[in-house]
Amino acid sequence: MHLLSMTNYIDFTTTEWDAISLSLQVAFWSALLCLPFAIFTGWFLARRKFKAKFLFEGFINLPLVLPPVATGFILLLLLGRNGLIGQYLNEMFGIKIAFSYYAAIIASMIVAFPLSVRSMRLSIEMIDPAYEEAAKTLGANRWQSFFRVTLPMALPGIISGFILAFARSLGEFGATIIFAGNIAGETQTLPLALYSAIQIPGQETSAFRLLIIAVLFSFIAMAGSEFLVKKLHHRKHKA
Amino acid sequence: MTTLSIDIKWSKDNFKLDIRADFSEGITGIFGSSGAGKSSLLQLIAGLEKIDEGQIKIGSDILDHTETKHFTPSHKRKLGYVFQEGRLFPHMNVRQNLLFGTKFLKNNEQQFNFNEIVELLEIEPLLKKIPKQLSGGEKQRVAIGRSLLSSPRLLLMDEPFSALDVSLRRQIIPFLTKINKKLKLPILVVSHDLPDLLSLSQKLLLVKNGQVLAQGNYFELVEKDLLIDIMEASGLNNVISFKLTHVETNYYELSKKTEGGELKIKRQKQMQHFEIGDNINVSLRPEDIAIALHQVKDVSIRNQLEGTISSIIKHENRIYCLVDVGFKLLVSITETSLNSLKLTQGKTVWCLFKSMALKINI
Repeated sequence: MHLLSMTNYIDFTTTEWDAISLSLQVAFWSALLCLPFAIFTGWFLARRKFKAKFLFEGFINLPLVLPPVATGFILLLLLGRNGLIGQYLNEMFGIKIAFSYYAAIIASMIVAFPLSVRSMRLSIEMIDPAYEEAAKTLGANRWQSFFRVTLPMALPGIISGFILAFARSLGEFGATIIFAGNIAGETQTLPLALYSAIQIPGQETSAFRLLIIAVLFSFIAMAGSEFLVKKLHHRKHKA
Repeated sequence: MTTLSIDIKWSKDNFKLDIRADFSEGITGIFGSSGAGKSSLLQLIAGLEKIDEGQIKIGSDILDHTETKHFTPSHKRKLGYVFQEGRLFPHMNVRQNLLFGTKFLKNNEQQFNFNEIVELLEIEPLLKKIPKQLSGGEKQRVAIGRSLLSSPRLLLMDEPFSALDVSLRRQIIPFLTKINKKLKLPILVVSHDLPDLLSLSQKLLLVKNGQVLAQGNYFELVEKDLLIDIMEASGLNNVISFKLTHVETNYYELSKKTEGGELKIKRQKQMQHFEIGDNINVSLRPEDIAIALHQVKDVSIRNQLEGTISSIIKHENRIYCLVDVGFKLLVSITETSLNSLKLTQGKTVWCLFKSMALKINI
């Protein structure tokens, strides 16, 4: 095996392709499903004042600092086959979430949620509530002014939040391996495949290929997100 | 006709507002220094803030009544609000901004026609532009149009002059006059600049420290010695309503008919936005008027109006004569003149002023 031979770096195996495609799917769905909750929570934090706000914020931001493995463990305790909710789901509907494709999505969602909320909140905070007031005097109720004025004005920030959540999901490892397991073709996302490749002697080229893809994806996502945030600032100053 | 009646109490931080007033048709100027509570008053009327006590109603329609815990949210009040900075939505073009309010109306609620408003405000060329491409005056006209198209029963305007440059600020006047006259829409205008406000309306509500100081016609307020303090700071003025009688490409003529004759002004300037027959306010400083006991024949001053002194107002070390010449004129005189001419209330006098002293507020 020649580490320096170019073809080795583009010759992906089926397992690797599976991991890449699964990663993209999981990241996409988790970022998308996060979106409405994150927008609502972000709006709530940006526009509402209440006393226990710091407690609420602390709770929302928990997955940001909690070891992802701990998050995965909490999910397992809640949604695992014998978990608080999982037991009930299994008995009543025969739904088994843990160690499935859906578990990978849920784990990613939970871990990406605080990042997504933060981004939504910042972009909504940047929109002057004066525009919502103006909308109200023109006959729009709270929802109409939110959907027709605030949301479109905050759009670059919201897309950037989506990308951030997507990127975070792509990199998700700890919570996924605990809650979804490392099943090739089913829950083995790119970071998990990379981990496995590093663990097994002789899989260095595979690890390199996955590494390059991981760096590439992460870079594109972060640059895209930054670009959109700049656009939002630009919009704000020109308005 | 819509009458807006308010009787409200409201407080925020250390500021207390306690206002009772009725507003009927026409344009009413709400005047007071900054921090007097004028903008808060508009926000309370619009429902952007909640009153603590009292009630607000339009005609028989009760908007707020704290006793019955009745509160109408902003979007159901049908009041137009034109904000100082315009607040046009930056992500929409002018047409989309204008049509924003119409989306929330039922078909039969549409009061004004889109084209009619666009024509009235002369914003046709702007329709495809986005707000950041507009000048201050254009933004304001679009904001007014947007409010009108939401079919309001009343238009509230917050400091319409202050967002504009000095040279442009009065350009908004012809449009507001037209809206009031042609669309029969009552307008409340808040301003801290009395000369600007007076060029729009002589009906005033004076607000000071969150309370109504007085409400009435400008000259009534002057007579009650309520305005002179405030006015001296910003320039005490007479405001005379003239009619536009003649418009040519490079000049126009204004006229004011009185019992004693006719005042005429001819200016070598282009006239925009106004039509023949429109009223145009002209201001005249009290210092620029002289008082004589008889008509003066051999003098270059051609404007000479006969009238009777309706009151003499002594304010600190200044003296003002309010002379009724068919309309009220405030004249500033010295104590020496007062004594040597033996001026008293009811005396017949002549007011003299040069044509060039007449300032046209457009």
